[in-house]
Amino acid sequence: MKISISRQNIYLLSISFFLLLFVILFSFLVLIPEGKEYRIKKAHMKKELKELRNYQNFSDETYETLKNLQSENRHTIEAFETIFDIERFIKSHSSYFSSLNVTKIEPVQPEEGFSVYEVNTSSKISTPKTFYAFLDAVNKSDWIIDISFPIEFKREADLIKSSFTMKVYHNSVESNATASESVAK
Amino acid sequence: MKYSYIKPRKKSALTQEMLLSFTFFSITLVMLLLTYLFLAYKNYAYVSDTILLKDERALLEKSIEKMKSEIVFIEKQRAFAQKVTTQNSVLKDSITNLFDLVPQRITLSEAKLLENGLILYGVTPSKDIYNFMLHAPLRSIFHRTYSSFYPAQNGWLNFVSTNYTDKEEELDSEN
Repeated sequence: MKISISRQNIYLLSISFFLLLFVILFSFLVLIPEGKEYRIKKAHMKKELKELRNYQNFSDETYETLKNLQSENRHTIEAFETIFDIERFIKSHSSYFSSLNVTKIEPVQPEEGFSVYEVNTSSKISTPKTFYAFLDAVNKSDWIIDISFPIEFKREADLIKSSFTMKVYHNSVESNATASESVAK
Repeated sequence: MKYSYIKPRKKSALTQEMLLSFTFFSITLVMLLLTYLFLAYKNYAYVSDTILLKDERALLEKSIEKMKSEIVFIEKQRAFAQKVTTQNSVLKDSITNLFDLVPQRITLSEAKLLENGLILYGVTPSKDIYNFMLHAPLRSIFHRTYSSFYPAQNGWLNFVSTNYTDKEEELDSEN
């Protein structure tokens, strides 16, 4: 028995076979690896995105904490940044004294990372109570002031002459740079 | 001479079957190519997005670090300011206690408050009054108390009371 296949059918079969082969090879060698890569990269990006969201949330929380701290301690932060002004100090505290003299500011050894300036003060007070009021006022003043020893009280007629040293604390240069960076931000 | 009853017609390689199979394979190939292009584009987009996300994360990390250091600094400022305020309040209490300590019969002319001591100058009607009313409480406060007297013009006695507190380290070493 003789099978007769026309030439056109042979063309058709061979072309179909090659095209099918191409489709199979293309799918297995190109498409499937590309699809796998797509899946891996998608998962990786999702992971990165999740991590970024976590960082974003943490950043928001930290920012909130920082803002709260800044608003709660505004007076302290400003006090550390305010440069000591003798005239302003005398003007705001002279009401506690009969006379008040404040001498030049001298920088001394920094303490705990803060710049320290020593200011010598001599004054005359009518009663010790005014000195107590002055100590209360110093704690609420525009600067961070520590009244340090020695403190001398000497009777002079009806008044008490007092002399003491004040330490004024100020942000050091490095911390000032950090603070100004944060303000700029 | 004719060998066939029908008229001869032109034969083409593109028969209907061929066209059908070409159409089928063309559509299949286009779909495969489109899928490939989609995947290639998506892969490229994911890679560039991942790089952007990483950059953004690095920026966030930097900003978090900066904020943390600011928080630490503010807390340090707060603690230090609190310490200074407390010291001033303690000083106020110490001065209040000092003036409360001195009885009315003894008059102070000078007082020096030192970091670890107190020097008092004043006038007392007698040594006994000084010893009972001022020296005793001073001795209970300070570790070392020295007193010296010299007569005043009105018959009273001028006194100098020097009082010191030993530092804890010194006391520990003595023990």
